[in-house]
Amino acid sequence: MTDPFALLDLPVSLLLDPSTVEESWRQRVRETSGADEAEASEIHSARALLSDPVARLGAWLEAKDPVAVPERGIATELMDLFARIGPVLASTDALLARHRKATTALARAVLAKESVAAQLAVQGLLQEIQPLKAALTGRFAEFEAAAAGGSYGEARRALGQLKFLKRWEAQCRERLLALLAT
Amino acid sequence: MDDDLIIGIDLGTTHSLVGVVDSGFPLVLADSAGERLLPSCVTWPAGRAPLVGAGAMRARALAPERTVASIKRFMGRPFADLTAEEVETTPYRLVAGSRGETLVQLDDETLVSPEEVSALILGRLRETAEQALEQPVRRAVVTVPAYFNHSQREATRKAAELAGLSVERLLNEPTAAALAYGLDRLGEDASVAVYDLGGGTFDLSVLRMREGLFEVVATAGDTRLGGDDLDLALARHLAESLGLGPLSESEEAILRVRARETKETLSTEEKVAVRLPFFRGGESHEIEVTRERFERLARPILDRTGPICRRAFAEAAEKGVASVERLILVGGSTRIPLVRESLREWFGLDPDLSQHPDEAVALGAAIQAGMLCGRVRQILLVDVTPLSLGIETFGGLMNVIIPRNSTIPVKAGELFTNAVDGQESMAIRVLQGERELAKDNWLLGEVVFPFSAGPKGSARVGVQFSINRDGLLEVLARDTATGEDHVLEIRDAAVDVEDEAVERMIGESIDFAFEDMNERVWTEARLKSEELLPAVEAALGAVGGRLSGEERDLVAAAAAGVRIALADEGHDAKALKSANAALDEATQALAALLVEAAFEDAGP
Repeated sequence: MTDPFALLDLPVSLLLDPSTVEESWRQRVRETSGADEAEASEIHSARALLSDPVARLGAWLEAKDPVAVPERGIATELMDLFARIGPVLASTDALLARHRKATTALARAVLAKESVAAQLAVQGLLQEIQPLKAALTGRFAEFEAAAAGGSYGEARRALGQLKFLKRWEAQCRERLLALLAT
Repeated sequence: MDDDLIIGIDLGTTHSLVGVVDSGFPLVLADSAGERLLPSCVTWPAGRAPLVGAGAMRARALAPERTVASIKRFMGRPFADLTAEEVETTPYRLVAGSRGETLVQLDDETLVSPEEVSALILGRLRETAEQALEQPVRRAVVTVPAYFNHSQREATRKAAELAGLSVERLLNEPTAAALAYGLDRLGEDASVAVYDLGGGTFDLSVLRMREGLFEVVATAGDTRLGGDDLDLALARHLAESLGLGPLSESEEAILRVRARETKETLSTEEKVAVRLPFFRGGESHEIEVTRERFERLARPILDRTGPICRRAFAEAAEKGVASVERLILVGGSTRIPLVRESLREWFGLDPDLSQHPDEAVALGAAIQAGMLCGRVRQILLVDVTPLSLGIETFGGLMNVIIPRNSTIPVKAGELFTNAVDGQESMAIRVLQGERELAKDNWLLGEVVFPFSAGPKGSARVGVQFSINRDGLLEVLARDTATGEDHVLEIRDAAVDVEDEAVERMIGESIDFAFEDMNERVWTEARLKSEELLPAVEAALGAVGGRLSGEERDLVAAAAAGVRIALADEGHDAKALKSANAALDEATQALAALLVEAAFEDAGP
């Protein structure tokens, strides 16, 4: 895929403000109205990438330092969180499965207590994940400065951890949405 | 005459309309009788050409098995996907075709597909447009529920083609309503939600309107939730209250018509006297239904829209639309006062009633048609895909490739390689839905793509999934060695089995389904009883003390009724179902208390 920054006529920067991305996207949508689907879908994907800080960091590294090997593995400070997420997600899924099977209001109401408890547990995890994520995305100015000196190591490490956090956040959100419907 | 003319069509579950933009204004066209709303109903009088619309509606009680209404519910759905309840409560006969698709059996010789039925309705709208505009019409924008999946959309497109119409765009119904709302408010920037509750489907879409750009940010819905369900619940209530016992198909049809009229009257009146003169020969019946009684029946059905709204609002908030300034109601069922009250109570928003509930979607379709043929220039529109698209991976899990609420058109690619030496092709199962397990999602079909034979891991094929502006999926394979692209066909998943075997299998399952319909319904009802009875025990144990003695007696009596029906050796499915329904209703207050208690316990 073409460089998302170029597609939206934006500088290759981590510090893009969401409203700038939106404004450029709207501008491009106007310019290309009636364009073929291939072009339109590239513009939409570029906006989706650049509006999400984690994907933006990935795209930025891809543009600046494309040859380096990505960081894999979970940092030790995230291991404890990782170990607690699995069981909460699994028990929530089991509860949701019972809920889906229930066909009457009463049978669903019997599960209300567990459902509220599960919501609190998942929310608790989200409240741990979000500040960790914010701490890393809060370092974007620092990564830009290091990049000026040719150093991308910290940014790459942050991306590795952010990918995990983003995935866990999405998994927790998905459960929370499903619980909201119970 | 204008060759580029495009009309806008709202193909609804209960009614359909056609519109066009004239001198910059969208309008709904009337037929030769002056009617703008065409009932989505077709009947086949023996030996004569099919009849569409109001005439067909009148035939429902006379020839229920040859009269097809609400066909939209079955568009693009395999027969195996239908519940016993759906098959049983449909007055005409549904059967499985040779590819497992749903067909309507009118008589021993005649089968028609949902696409063919819809094509007759679309054809009638095309005639209306041609007469009103005095010129041939060949192109149309057709609306679909936002929550329709690929198969349902594809079936709609095919129906239009059968009616001689080329589909220039499949437009989501709530998006259409937003266009109708926004056309004369182009100067305003706003975040709006469209709550669209029609005859058979429910959608909620959140949109951002800015400088003439209409952007859908999130959508959610249920393609099997609408006014039809309210009619059915009310018809059952009437049959039970009057002690009518088993009903013939025609009696059921009459009751359904009365229920619908009663529902409509109760939107403005506090009570209605329902009369059934000369019902079943000489019998005549009369019963009073109050709005309060109707609301008790309607509430559990309407309450299902709440979580769907909350879900769409939560997703919109994640995408930067933190609050919705206006909640626009469209669809005939939003005339029900309880809908408006519930929305006020849930979201603290005063619903916007500026749009005509029956016509807004058709007007929006006309506007989109006008945009495509250059008659409307000041508007731009971007929509999203309602459902996640993925493929089945090892362990039967769904691997999401395009997440729901992605702006369309959208593309995403995956790279596949041969897992064994000399492998020449690979089949992948394409799914749509939000569940972890592949089997819980819609199976759209399989795509098979070729490898150039070679050692394991040597062949590489890039498969690109794209969703176009109609919300339809296209799959493209690119051989990375040759750089050659080809479009892959999405095949029904069953075609690999020998044709004859498939026919036999399906033939057997039809016989089975119909001979054992009572048994199937009994089993579904028994499962429901087995779910309810222990739940009653648990609920009474937890919060029974909060009920009055009288309320507890009512619950106990209803539970005893279920136990008696369950013990019936003749497996009277109808009796068990109505006992379940009675217990379900008797425990509504109990259920509400339990939910309340759960929140109290968790409270601060």
